[in-house]
Amino acid sequence: MVAREKLNLLKDRFGTAIQRADLPAEDRLFVFIDRASVREVCRHVFRQLDARYIISIGADDRPHSGHFLVAHNFAFDRDHLLASFLTQLPADDPKLDSITADVPAANWAEREFRDLVGIEPVGHAYPKRLVLPDGWPEGMHPLRKDVPWNHVPEGFDPDREFKFDEPPEGCTVVPFGPFHPTLDEPAHFRLYLEGEMVRGCEYRGFMVHRGIEKLAESVLTYNDIPMAAERICGICGCVHNVAYAQAVESAAALEIPPRAAYIRTIMLELERLHSHLLWVGLACHIVGFDTLFMQAFRIREPVMWIAEKISGNRKTYALCVIGGVRWDITPELKTELRQVLDKLETEWTAVVAAVSKDRNIQRRTRGVGVADARLVKEAGLVGPVARAAGVPGDARRDHPYAAYDRLDFDVITADGADVWSRVVVRMKEVFESIRIMRQCLDRMEPGPLALDIQDELPVGRMGMSSVEAPRGESHHFIITGENNRPRRWRVRAPTYQNLQGVPAMIKDQQLADMTISLGSIDPCFSCTDRMETVDIRSGAQRIWSQEELLRLVRRR
Amino acid sequence: MLKNLCQKMFGRSLWVYHANSGGCNGCDIEVLNALTPYYDAERFGIRLVGSPRHADVMLCQGPAMRSTAKALQRAYEAMPAPKLVFAIGSCACGGGIWYDMYSVLGPVEKLVPVNFYIPGCPPRPEAIIYGVAVALGIVDKKTAPVQFKHLEMPIPRYHPEDLRRDGEMVVYARTETV
Repeated sequence: MVAREKLNLLKDRFGTAIQRADLPAEDRLFVFIDRASVREVCRHVFRQLDARYIISIGADDRPHSGHFLVAHNFAFDRDHLLASFLTQLPADDPKLDSITADVPAANWAEREFRDLVGIEPVGHAYPKRLVLPDGWPEGMHPLRKDVPWNHVPEGFDPDREFKFDEPPEGCTVVPFGPFHPTLDEPAHFRLYLEGEMVRGCEYRGFMVHRGIEKLAESVLTYNDIPMAAERICGICGCVHNVAYAQAVESAAALEIPPRAAYIRTIMLELERLHSHLLWVGLACHIVGFDTLFMQAFRIREPVMWIAEKISGNRKTYALCVIGGVRWDITPELKTELRQVLDKLETEWTAVVAAVSKDRNIQRRTRGVGVADARLVKEAGLVGPVARAAGVPGDARRDHPYAAYDRLDFDVITADGADVWSRVVVRMKEVFESIRIMRQCLDRMEPGPLALDIQDELPVGRMGMSSVEAPRGESHHFIITGENNRPRRWRVRAPTYQNLQGVPAMIKDQQLADMTISLGSIDPCFSCTDRMETVDIRSGAQRIWSQEELLRLVRRR
Repeated sequence: MLKNLCQKMFGRSLWVYHANSGGCNGCDIEVLNALTPYYDAERFGIRLVGSPRHADVMLCQGPAMRSTAKALQRAYEAMPAPKLVFAIGSCACGGGIWYDMYSVLGPVEKLVPVNFYIPGCPPRPEAIIYGVAVALGIVDKKTAPVQFKHLEMPIPRYHPEDLRRDGEMVVYARTETV
């Protein structure tokens, strides 16, 4: 009863500030805390209890309880516990203390609920617009329940440009994006350069914010949402699909059949294979090793084919419904999947050997884009970025779901904390995925694919689910609601946290290393979109003249 | 008419620029896939370039978003004429499931003139290559049509009068394949 222990710890320390708690399962904890002590509790949880920050969620709960709701989610990885700290805010005064000063990772999440729900984080150091389009008028919050999903306010000004911060003195501004050859997706970085060195940047992203959460809360139904969730991201779609279904299942206390759990595991690992193969290919492309880019894509193709054979589509698998899966893995597909895995393993061994021995790749990636364990903790970095810094966080082991608790696998870590370590981690994880899938194929037993759900899902219950996406932990939070759809659904994709670490990663390194550093987190803006400034100006102030700059550039 | 015009204007090779105005990545990856060894669009002279200034064709993916509207139009304007625009995927063609969301404008045709549509969520790499080939009128030149004949299916048909006793077992003396 870890959840109970943690709750008692908090009760002992904070007393009446802990209002009520809900412990629906051993690995879930929902605690309602007093508005005045939010900051204190979060600091204690983050610093003393050493929890990992996941996300903050703002919700408009006025039609039901007459309050706004804010949840700060933390994970106790070693204790296999996901905890949510909720606070109710009065409808006429939606304000609460910002926790960003104590938990730096909460920066974006707080700005997001300020934009979308209109809850003011008091004391936030940098409350600039994050999510909404530039021309969006102030004071209109699309995620409030009284705003329809398709409502564009009167004051919308399509011509307004985003106001960037003043660059630090003496720095040249280099715009990067929104359409850039090494970026697949739109995102805009303004890099502050001093000569060749990046001294800071400002990020304007969230250009892919399509409002999927609002769509789910107002138009779609429970079983529509998994298909829409898949369209959050074209690469790790199945992850969102599974994470959503699991969040609803945990809220409604449904237990899926074992065969469904194994099929979910197989499809998630299949997706990890194709994503990692794609990423290693793209990383080689970014550093200029195009042969390997082509090779990685060639090896990857059979994975896409087998996915198509199983689910009918190469990428969007449409796998989950609430309570199970839709596609079965037949004995013929099993044999074929085994053959694909065998072939992939031999071919991938060759690629790993080629990459490991290639001096050029290593020179481009070693010591570049360093994100050490301290940054991992502060910015809440997840996935291969954290594991490459020696932080063994993996939702598959820490918060087991699907069939992972019944399988034997290793969490791959490295200790370089640089881009090279991330390459190594991802390359080795491919072998782990193959191992996991083989175990699943061996252990899968016949049985039903989905639960037969007779009744309406309970209303007003909360659920959380973490799924290890190829890029890191993907976290879904849900409050169930009326009309066969959730009241609030919040998605935290891994890139949401990892991107916040990028400004620190690219600082004080050469411009040429920027793309690979950014690429090394495997950014997925469509998942995230839902900006960051680190205006750092370090060292001696020096103003470069045009001639000096030119000389500098030519000398290199 | 457009087809003839395309053939005339774009000769042998086509340089494409892909602009994701706010899609989910799915179509991007299929476009990339179309350029890699299995599908190898370079054999038709199709090449991905990094700048709209080098491009003949813009491949639009994702719906037209309010936040990227200006950037997409600027990228389009930067392309030298003559130019073509392909809308790839359901979102670019019609706005997808987000067509009326608060942050979405709708299909990309609201921002840039679209010449060809390749639907699908995401369209398969074959579909993308086929779409581009249709637009350029190189389908007839590059494909060898294969006509499928109805195959003889080896399904045995048994007749009761052919039953014979063979030791302990009863077997068919003659089977007929249909």
